[in-house]
Amino acid sequence: MEKITKMIVINSSKLLPSDVAMKLYETKDDIIVKETCFGIMVSGERAILDPLLANIRKLDPYGIFIKERGFAPGEPFRCRATRRGGARPGFHNLETEDKILPHIAAALKALDRGDIPGPKKQTKKLDIDKLKAIIKETEVSK
Amino acid sequence: MSVQDDNISQKSCAGCGEEKEIAPGIGHALKKITATENLVRVAQLSCGAEYSGIQDEIDSAAKQVNAIMVYPEIDIADVESIEEEFGLKVASPDLRLMMARAKSIVTGKVHVDAVFVATCFRCAEAAIVRSEVRRYIHEKTGIPVISYSFTERTTAATLLTRMEALTTTARRKSLLAREKQTGLTAGIDSGSTTTKAIIMKDNVIIGKGWVPTIKVIESAEEAFNNAMKEAGITRSDIQALGTTGYGRFLIGEHLKADLMQEEITVNSKGAVYLADKQKGVATVLDIGGMDNKAISVTDGIPGMFTMGGICAGASGRFLEMTAKRLGVSITELGSLALKGKASNVKMNSYCIVFGIQSLVNSLAGGSTPEDVAAAACHSVAEQLFEQQLQEVDVKEPVIMVGGTALIEGLPKAVEELLKVKVIVPPNAQYIGAVGAALLASGFINK
Amino acid sequence: MKVFIYPTNSLILYDMVERFGHEPLAIMQEIGKKVRSQGLDSPPMNITPEDPKFGLKYAAVEVPAGVRGRMSLLDPLLTKAEAAIIVNDPVISFGCMGCARTNELVNFLLRGKKIPILKLDYPSTEEDAKLFVYKISEFLKSLKPAEENK
Repeated sequence: MEKITKMIVINSSKLLPSDVAMKLYETKDDIIVKETCFGIMVSGERAILDPLLANIRKLDPYGIFIKERGFAPGEPFRCRATRRGGARPGFHNLETEDKILPHIAAALKALDRGDIPGPKKQTKKLDIDKLKAIIKETEVSK
Repeated sequence: MSVQDDNISQKSCAGCGEEKEIAPGIGHALKKITATENLVRVAQLSCGAEYSGIQDEIDSAAKQVNAIMVYPEIDIADVESIEEEFGLKVASPDLRLMMARAKSIVTGKVHVDAVFVATCFRCAEAAIVRSEVRRYIHEKTGIPVISYSFTERTTAATLLTRMEALTTTARRKSLLAREKQTGLTAGIDSGSTTTKAIIMKDNVIIGKGWVPTIKVIESAEEAFNNAMKEAGITRSDIQALGTTGYGRFLIGEHLKADLMQEEITVNSKGAVYLADKQKGVATVLDIGGMDNKAISVTDGIPGMFTMGGICAGASGRFLEMTAKRLGVSITELGSLALKGKASNVKMNSYCIVFGIQSLVNSLAGGSTPEDVAAAACHSVAEQLFEQQLQEVDVKEPVIMVGGTALIEGLPKAVEELLKVKVIVPPNAQYIGAVGAALLASGFINK
Repeated sequence: MKVFIYPTNSLILYDMVERFGHEPLAIMQEIGKKVRSQGLDSPPMNITPEDPKFGLKYAAVEVPAGVRGRMSLLDPLLTKAEAAIIVNDPVISFGCMGCARTNELVNFLLRGKKIPILKLDYPSTEEDAKLFVYKISEFLKSLKPAEENK
C-alpha cells in the first residue's frame, strides 16, 4: 500500500497541535506523527490516513487545514537543519497562505450559515472628462 | 535550412557530444590536493537545478574541491520587496528568490566564502538575472562569484573546473590580487597541443620555451630547459614555479611546483596582465590548438566562462587543416587571410569536416588561397560565436590570447563579427605560462 | 472528480477540494512518488537528468531543462485532470511553482483540455475570502462527486 504524508495546519483558538497529536496517538493506527511549528505531519497508508484525517478535521472544521506533502517528516534533504540554510521551497508558500487562514475560516463559517456574498467591487478606470477636469484644476491652482 | 542554422539550437554538435572533462583523472589529483585545504562554503543561487536533475552533480563537484553548497536564509518580506530594491522585475518567483538570497549575502545576514549562480541554459529572463546578481555580489562584497547555465546534460565533470576556479579564488584571494611579478619565477603551461614555458624576472619575461606536446613530462622539460637556456639561468636559480594546463598535476608533481592551477584562473590573470587591463571588466577569448575558452573577467578574476571540447570547428585545428590544404605554414595563413575576402567563398557549414569540404570545393571552383584563408578565419570566428559566446557577455576590452591569436586573420574576423576592437597582447601564445609565473611569485617567501 | 489546482502546491486549494468531496491533484503527490519509488539516486527530489526528456512531449529541446523537468512532474496531473481551479495571481511560491514559463504553459494546456475551469483572484480581505470560498464551493458542487466517478 502507498505510504503518504499529510500536513495538518492548525489555525485555531480551540486547539493546540499537541491536542491533535494526542487524538492521533489515541487511534493506535500504524502512523507516524510529528509536531512542527505550524501543526502536525502524519505519515501512513493512504487508506488509513484519509478517513482518519476526515475525523480529525471535525475537531475544528474552521481551524484545521490539510494538504499532502511530498517528503516524509524529517527528510534530511528538505529539513532546514540539515540542508545548510534556507527553508525548503514550499515553506514560504505555506507561510504566506497561513496568513490568510483566519479569513478563509471566517468565509467557511459564513458559507455554513448560508450567507451569499455580494459580487466583488470592480474598480473602473476614471472617466476621461473627470480626469480632464482634475488636470485643469491642478493647472489653475499652480 | 543550412547546417549552421541547425547548430544554433544545439549546445554541442552530435559528433563531439558534451563538454569534455578537462583532463582525465583530474578529479583524483584534485581530491589529493584539496583534502588538506579549508572547507569552502559556496552559496547556491539557482533556478531549475533540481528540476533539470543536476543538483546531485553540483553537490558532487563541490565535494571534490572540499566545498559545500549552502542556501542563504531569507524572509518572505525580502522576496516581496526585492524587485523594487534590485530594480529588476521578473516573472519567475525562483529568480526573485535568487535576488533575495543575493541580498542576504550582501547585507551580511549569511556568511559564505563564494557564490555559484546557475540557471537554465536558453532562459532569457534567467540570463539577465544571473548576470546582474553576479555583478551585484561582486561589486558590493568582493566575494568570488561564478555563474553557469546548465542543461540536463551538465555533469559533475563539467562543473568541476568551475568549482575549482571558484574555490581557488576564495582560498587564494591575496594571491590573485597580485598585479606584478617579483623575483625570479617560472611558469609552465602543459597544453593539449603545445607546451609553453616562461621565465620572468622582476616583472620582465627573460626566457621562453615552446614545443609540441608529445609526452607530457618530456615536452615540459624540453620547453622549460629552452626557456632557462634563453634566460641564462639554471633550475636552482628559480625561486618559485607554477604549472597550468592539462598536464599541470603530472608536471607539477614531477618538477615540485609551488602552484598547480587550472587554466581559467591562470589565463584570466595572464591575459589582463599582458594586455595591461588589470582593473575592471574584460572578456578573454583563448583559442588554442584543440581547446578554447571564453571568459568574462572582473578585476582579473573569472566570473562566467565556457570552455572547449564542444566543437573542433571553433579551434586552431580548423586553421591548421586549412593551412595544410593551402600548402602554407600556420604562421603564413594569418597574413594570407588579411589579403582575402571571406564573403567570396560560400561555406555551407562551419564544422571541421563539412566546412573544410566547402573550402576544398571553392578552391576547385577557382577561389583564391587568400579568400579561402579569410573564409577559414571567418568560419572559426562564427563557430566561436555560436558555441562559446552563447553564455558569456562580450564586454570590452576583448582580449584574444592563445596560439591562434597570432594568426592575424582570426582576430580581424572576430572584430568584424562581434563589432568590437580586439586586443592581442604581446606573447599572447604564452598566456598560461606567464599567468603561472606571475602567480608563482606569490610563493617566494613561503 | 479529479480537480487540478493552481498553484499546484496550495494548502488552501488542496484543503477546499478535499473538504468538498473531490480529489485534489497536487504536485506533492508526484514528488512523493518520486521520493518513495526507489533509493534516492538524485537528491533531493530524485529527479534525474532523464526526467526533462519526459517533458519533451510538451516543449522541444530549445525550451530550458528546468521547464521540461517541471513539466515531467506535472504531466500525470494534467493527464488526469477532469476539472481545474486556477488562482490568477497566486502568492509567491518557489520550486515547482518557481518558473513563470512552466506556469504559463500549464495554464495554456489546462484551457486546451476543455474541462470545467474556475478562475479566481487571490483573496486579500475577509470579504474577498468569502467570495473566494463561496465560488469554490459552488464550482465543486456543480461537479460530479469523487465516489460517483469511480
